[in-house]
Amino acid sequence: MIEIKGLSFRYSRFAREVLSGVDLRLNDGEIGILLGKNGSGKTTLFRNILGINRPSSGAILFNGKDITKLSRREKARLIAYVPQHIHFGELSVYDSIMMGRISYFGLSAGEHDMAVVDRIINEMGLSSISDRNAEELSGGEKQKVAIARALAQEPKMLIFDEPTGNLDIANEQLIIREAKKLSREKGISILSSLHDPNEALSLGDRFFFLKNGKVAFTGDSGVFSEETIKEVFDADVTITEISGRKVILKNDLQVKENKK
Amino acid sequence: MLFAESRMPFCLVNGLHKKKKKLIAIIILIIAVLITAFASLFLGSSDMSFSEGVGALFKTGDSNMIRIIWNIRLPRILAALIAGAGLSVSGLIMQTDLSNPMASPSTLGVSNAAVFGANLSIIAFAGGFLETGNNVKSFTAGVNPFSTSLIAFLFSTLSIILILLLCRIRSFNKEVVVLAGIAVGAIWTAATTVLQFYATDVGISAAVIWNFGDLGRATYTTDLIMAVVVLFGAVYFTLSSWKLNALLSGDAAAHSMGVNVNRLRALSMLLASLITAVCVSFLGIIGFIGIIGPHIIKRLIGHDHRFSIPGSMLTGSLVLLLADTFSRTAGKGSALPVGAITSLLGAPFFVAIIFSKRGTGHYD
Repeated sequence: MIEIKGLSFRYSRFAREVLSGVDLRLNDGEIGILLGKNGSGKTTLFRNILGINRPSSGAILFNGKDITKLSRREKARLIAYVPQHIHFGELSVYDSIMMGRISYFGLSAGEHDMAVVDRIINEMGLSSISDRNAEELSGGEKQKVAIARALAQEPKMLIFDEPTGNLDIANEQLIIREAKKLSREKGISILSSLHDPNEALSLGDRFFFLKNGKVAFTGDSGVFSEETIKEVFDADVTITEISGRKVILKNDLQVKENKK
Repeated sequence: MLFAESRMPFCLVNGLHKKKKKLIAIIILIIAVLITAFASLFLGSSDMSFSEGVGALFKTGDSNMIRIIWNIRLPRILAALIAGAGLSVSGLIMQTDLSNPMASPSTLGVSNAAVFGANLSIIAFAGGFLETGNNVKSFTAGVNPFSTSLIAFLFSTLSIILILLLCRIRSFNKEVVVLAGIAVGAIWTAATTVLQFYATDVGISAAVIWNFGDLGRATYTTDLIMAVVVLFGAVYFTLSSWKLNALLSGDAAAHSMGVNVNRLRALSMLLASLITAVCVSFLGIIGFIGIIGPHIIKRLIGHDHRFSIPGSMLTGSLVLLLADTFSRTAGKGSALPVGAITSLLGAPFFVAIIFSKRGTGHYD
């Protein structure tokens, strides 16, 4: 379980707070989604959790242990990251996934590292492309390889930064399925940012709406309301249900039938 | 298919079937470097026959030939091998560190600082420490190449430290490093201009001649010093191959994989710059090797540092050796400065990079 308590961050002593008093809690195997406008602090929160930035105040606890005090390697074995813009530096898919083992092997990969990578490649159905240049794959395949690389770290938690940002619908669904499988089958907690509230609803268990560096609303899918969206995104939407699922429609795109 | 299913417990050989091509490329390069080095021993402006050359190599025959082989050509060939390897691998590391295909060993302004140091030594001290010259006599009698190199190296090191300190205050972010390098480099260039403004014609010509990269200045002592620094850097870079690979995924991704990005970037840039400082201080400016070498190897076998580090060292050695052999044989009796040849080669190479269809790694 990851627990963030009163986390604040500013880039320098005289700069304004980018995050102020963020509280967040995510159980093992749960998928948490961060929603908010551009600049609301989502990426900064990730950078604080990953240890790239140090919080100005507050605590980040994993199963009660303060992770800001862990070494880089220890943290890499606990939390893995799938960035929005994925690069592999022209390495093969196999080597790109092996890269996730750096925190274990340091200098050179051992038998166990190879066994882990082979297992992940098989589980994720990447065997047929394992020799290919990862940089030349399609967007969806790249995303899958990046997830495989993150899994090679054998983490307890995964952070996704806009995982579906650059993907077509088919690949979006593929990544959402993969993410759900990981949380349900392996008990890995996932914290992801998503800009599309409908995608968020189909992926997430808990939702955190960030506004000006603060968690403005939090809860399960019940937290989605027209007022919440208006408050956080400053956008007019209508929430309706299709086949028992909540669907958010942007008002300018609504068909007349929905307005009746 | 012999290697198709091999999975050996060592990073260099996992997935060996793909790596086989890369290993073969490296072996071919080693052979090419050895053959070129051997051949260039017997090429030059003297009318030495092959048999005379071989005899001289075994220290038999004409004493002049022995002197040419052992005192002139061999230290020069060794310098080409060492400086070529050093400048090329430094270029590769800079390009990785800064995610920029145009980054070179001189991106941190090291060469500009070396030029200023050498100019100061030649113009103000006539190549020595204490002789305040600026007259023809002191240039002809008092020039001490070693102290010129030493002063050039001191200023290069000062420049590196200055830039790393500037980055430490702000961050080792790629943009900060490049901008700090440009700014500090510009200061050295301006200072050199001021210095040259007050120099005599003889002083200026001596200083300008120093700037031309020339392997003819190499001695066994300078070769040994360069070899130690290049070897030290190469060992560190090789041990950091996987981490440097992680850096190609971007800073945040590398950090999340447990890599201390700031330390890796600072240390590798420091070593790459030191290698450059030593080579430039002893040999003068040898442009573009740090761009040509890594780009050839990235095109041939890709960016994976486990292979591109030894590969770029070999390519750098080969290119510099070929350029120097050309310079020795083309200008009968007066060897062209090799720096001019590598720069002449380098400019079209830049154009080729810009217009090439295939990328060479990711660069934000």
